[in-house]
Order: sequence, then C-alpha cells, then structure tokens
Amino acid sequence: MSEPNVLALVVLVLVAIGWYLSYSAARLDRLHARVQGTLAALDAQLVRRAEATLELANSGVLDAASALMLASAASDSLSAAEDEDTDADQQRFSHDREGVESRLSEALGLALSADALATVSEAGGFGDDIVSRVRATGLRVQLARRFHNDAVTDVRGVRRKWIVRWFRLAGHADMPQTVEFVDALPHGLRG
Amino acid sequence: MRIGIVCPYSFDIPGGVQFHVRDLAEILRARGHTVSVLAPADESTTLPDYVVSAGRAVPVSYNGSVARLNFGLMTNAKVTAWLDRGRFDLVHIHEPITPSIGALALWAADCPIVATFHTSNLRSRAMQVSYPFFRASLEKILGRIAVSEDARRTVTTHFGGDAVVIPNGVYVDRFASAQLRPQWQGQPGRPTIAFLGRMGEPRKGMPVLAAALPRVLAQMPGLRLLVAGPGNADEVRASMTPEVASATEFLGSVDDADKATLLRSVDVYVAPNTGGESFGIILIEAMSAGAAVLASDIPAFVRVLDGGAAGATFANEDSDDLAQALIRLLGDDTERARVAAAGRARAEVFDWSVVADEITLVYETVLEGAAAARTMPGQGVLGRLRRSGKGMP
Repeated sequence: MSEPNVLALVVLVLVAIGWYLSYSAARLDRLHARVQGTLAALDAQLVRRAEATLELANSGVLDAASALMLASAASDSLSAAEDEDTDADQQRFSHDREGVESRLSEALGLALSADALATVSEAGGFGDDIVSRVRATGLRVQLARRFHNDAVTDVRGVRRKWIVRWFRLAGHADMPQTVEFVDALPHGLRG
Repeated sequence: MRIGIVCPYSFDIPGGVQFHVRDLAEILRARGHTVSVLAPADESTTLPDYVVSAGRAVPVSYNGSVARLNFGLMTNAKVTAWLDRGRFDLVHIHEPITPSIGALALWAADCPIVATFHTSNLRSRAMQVSYPFFRASLEKILGRIAVSEDARRTVTTHFGGDAVVIPNGVYVDRFASAQLRPQWQGQPGRPTIAFLGRMGEPRKGMPVLAAALPRVLAQMPGLRLLVAGPGNADEVRASMTPEVASATEFLGSVDDADKATLLRSVDVYVAPNTGGESFGIILIEAMSAGAAVLASDIPAFVRVLDGGAAGATFANEDSDDLAQALIRLLGDDTERARVAAAGRARAEVFDWSVVADEITLVYETVLEGAAAARTMPGQGVLGRLRRSGKGMP
C-alpha cells in the first residue's frame, strides 16, 4: 500500500471514531438530562405528597396521635427535600432521603387504616377530599419513581459500553443510582 | 393536551389493541384533549375523523408468522408529516417493538414519548431489543405502560427497568345497561350459560366445556348453552355428544350490542380458556353486564377476578371440576347473585373513567420530567473533552 493510501485510511478511521464519539456523547447527554429531569419530577412529587400529608395531619379528621405521627413524618420529608443538593450534576438521592420517604409511606399506611378511612368517609366532605389528594400524590410518587428508575437503567446500560468508559464520555457526572424506597399506598387506598 | 397515538394494527380488522386505542382516543377527546390517531387502513375504509391513515398494511412473513406491517420510505414520510402537522405535546405509541409505524414514530418523534406494551410474546422481544440501533431509540420512551402482569414481565426481562401496569379499559355502563333479550334469559329449570370466542380454537376451551356438559345435563336437563363467535358450528357440533349438541344454540358472530345483551341476559358466563391469554377483557365485560363468571384458573383470569373473589374458578382443563362448579353455581340462586354482584363491583376498577385517569397521570408525570430535563444544560463532546482532559486519538 502506498503512503497516501495509508494516510487516507488513517484519516477515514479517525473521522469514523470521531463521529461515533460525538454520537455517543450526544446520546449520553440526552440520557443524563432525562435522568435529571425525572429526578427533579420525583423530588417535586415527594414535596407535594408531604404537603398533602401535612394538610391531612392538620385537618382534624384523624385522631391526635395519628396526626402527630403524620405531621412528624411529613416535616422530615420536607426538610430532607430542602437539604437535598440542587447541583445540576446531581443524579441521585441520599440514603437518608430514601429512609425518610419510606417512613412517610409507612406512617400513611398506619394512620390511614381501614377503620380510619371508614370514619373519614362517613364524615364525608373535606376529609374525603384531603384523603383523595393524599392518594393522588402517592400515585404520582409511584409513577415518578418508576420512570426515574427506568431512565437510570437506560443510562447505566450506555455507560457500561467500552467507548464510553475508555474515552470518559460521561465526564465527571456521577453514576446515576436508582431511587429505592417503600412507596406503597395504604391498603385501603389501593385500586 | 395535544396527544398523538400510534396504533400499528390496521383499523380494518377488529382486535384488542385497535379497540383499546379507539376507546382511549374517544375518552381523551371527550375530556377536552386534542387527539390524533395514526393507524394503517385500506383506502376504502371509512375512519373516524380523528384517525389518520398510514396507508395499507402489507402481509409479511415475520418472526414465525404472517404479520401485517407498514414500512418503507413512503410510510416514513407519512409518519413524519403526521408528527409535524400534529405538533404534539406527547406521543403515545402502542406496541413500539413491531417493525411498523410504531418504530418509525419512535425514531422520528422529538417530543416526550409514552409506550404501551400489549403482548407478552417473549421470542420477538428478545430478538428486537438486542438490535443496537433500535436500542438507542427505545431510550426515548419516558414512560412505559404494560396492560398486564405478563406483558410487564416481558418488558422488564428485556429492557431492564420496569413498567406501570394499567389494564385495558371497559365502558362498564354500556354492558350494565344493555338490553335484556327474553329468549336468552334463563327460566326456572331452564338456565342459560354463554360461551364467547373462536369456538374452533382449542385454547379457547370449547372441548373442556363440551366434555363437562354431559354431567351437568344429567342433573339439569333444561340447561341451554349459547355460543357466540366465529367458527364452523357444524364441526363443533359434530365433536359434541348428541345431548350436548341438542342443548347448544349457535348464534354465529355477534355485534357489540348483541354481545352486551347476551352477557346481560344469561345466568352464567363460562370462560374455559386453557392458556395464552395475557388479560381477559371479556371477563370484565361479562362482570360489567352482571353475569356470574365461571373461569379456568389461568393466572391472567385469576388476577382479573381478584384472586377468585369476583368470580368462580375451576381447575384449568379439568372438565369434572368445571361440571361441579357449574352445577353448584346454577343450583344456588343466592350464591350466583353474590358472585354476580362481586363481579359487578370488581368491574368498576377497569372502567374507562378509572383507566383514563391512570393513563393521564402517566402523561402528566412524563411531561413534568421532560420539562425539567429541558432546563438541564448539555455538555457537548468538546466541553466533555475539556473537562476530562482526554484528547481524541
């Protein structure tokens, strides 16, 4: 092979590698943005759930002990949300936050027992409204967490590729982690 | 919201996915959303005004059977034009993993995408998900819905991640308020039971039912079996004992209104299906109409029947057990009324009003995540190289 041909071949290979790098980088950018978006959405839903829970605690439709338990769990959730690092590179929740949210789900499950729900629905009106708002926010938390974890799974799949690892295409972005906490609705509120 | 829905199966042919898409489009429109459906259709077919034709589907031998698909540059241009004209806030693609307009829309769309997975055909999924170029476009799906636990398991096995289970919807009221027809209603000593579906297909369970009936007729000689659905009645009749054949009336294929009337008129609806069902919408229709349901205990049916609380079940493919269960149910009016009432209450979970709420919730959650993602800065390849301090080769 003559020298110009070898040179042409080398240039061609470099261009191909360059194109694939830039394609992979764009794909990864898209995926990272998606993960940050779904995490922001989950964060917002969690705040709404905590606010609805706080409203339920303050509404007087539950007994004082249940109200106190819910108020405490909801306030923990709200302050965990405030403490959360809002850096744009952030791709995960802290373990503390996961624990706090699990405890809020559990508190809701305990406070909204079948008996409590029956009492609330007998009284009707305002109590029913606020309980259905708590249910709606809980459903949204479930969806948001699931869609976030799907996005995380997709990013992790791409970041395992050799080209991404060799050329450090992910830059300094943390490896995203799935968000794991108990998000089950109270038994009596399941469809 | 401006919503585009993609249905890969032709609107010329009746089918579960097509009905689901039609019903979904109609309830979303009734709720004030702007909806456009893209689906294959023959030129001669008259379509509802919200459906845009993607052209005629071509029968192709694909993945071990003949599928009707749309592909090629012309189809691609149609899909792109539909997306451009629609300016959708969100596109909802049904069965995105078929080499048809679903895959084309997934490739071309740049708005948030929700996908619904209907079938649980493992073989085709395993194959297609592994294509690298297709994998990248699957990453554009921001919310995955599966219509059943089986479909969900298929999705999670091949994609990783998860899917939200939202069942197919039924307009419960249409069945609950269907007309009664006296000649299909049971009389004292002459109860009626119904079988619906393609009777010639063994997995629909007609042989199991036919084998059970001699025992039932011995105790209840007045029993009448009403069979509705496509298939060769003479062949099925020939496979029955003479007593069973003379107790059976073949109604042929029935339209939606007659189906509802039949389910509302009979005493018991029997679903002896032996497998291959991923959901069981017909059970919900029967429950909505107020028929007591007696079904084989295949997993999909047991789930629809809420573990057996909303209908009676018998051991799958066991004619003796079916006969016993049928005798018990037909012989006890109180028990039958209880089963029917439990079924009627259970059906509400699958009413379109509930199902549409759940689907809308998915749309809203996905749009919120997508809106937040748009505000995140991208790095681009150069910025990334600068930051990591590594050059090109």
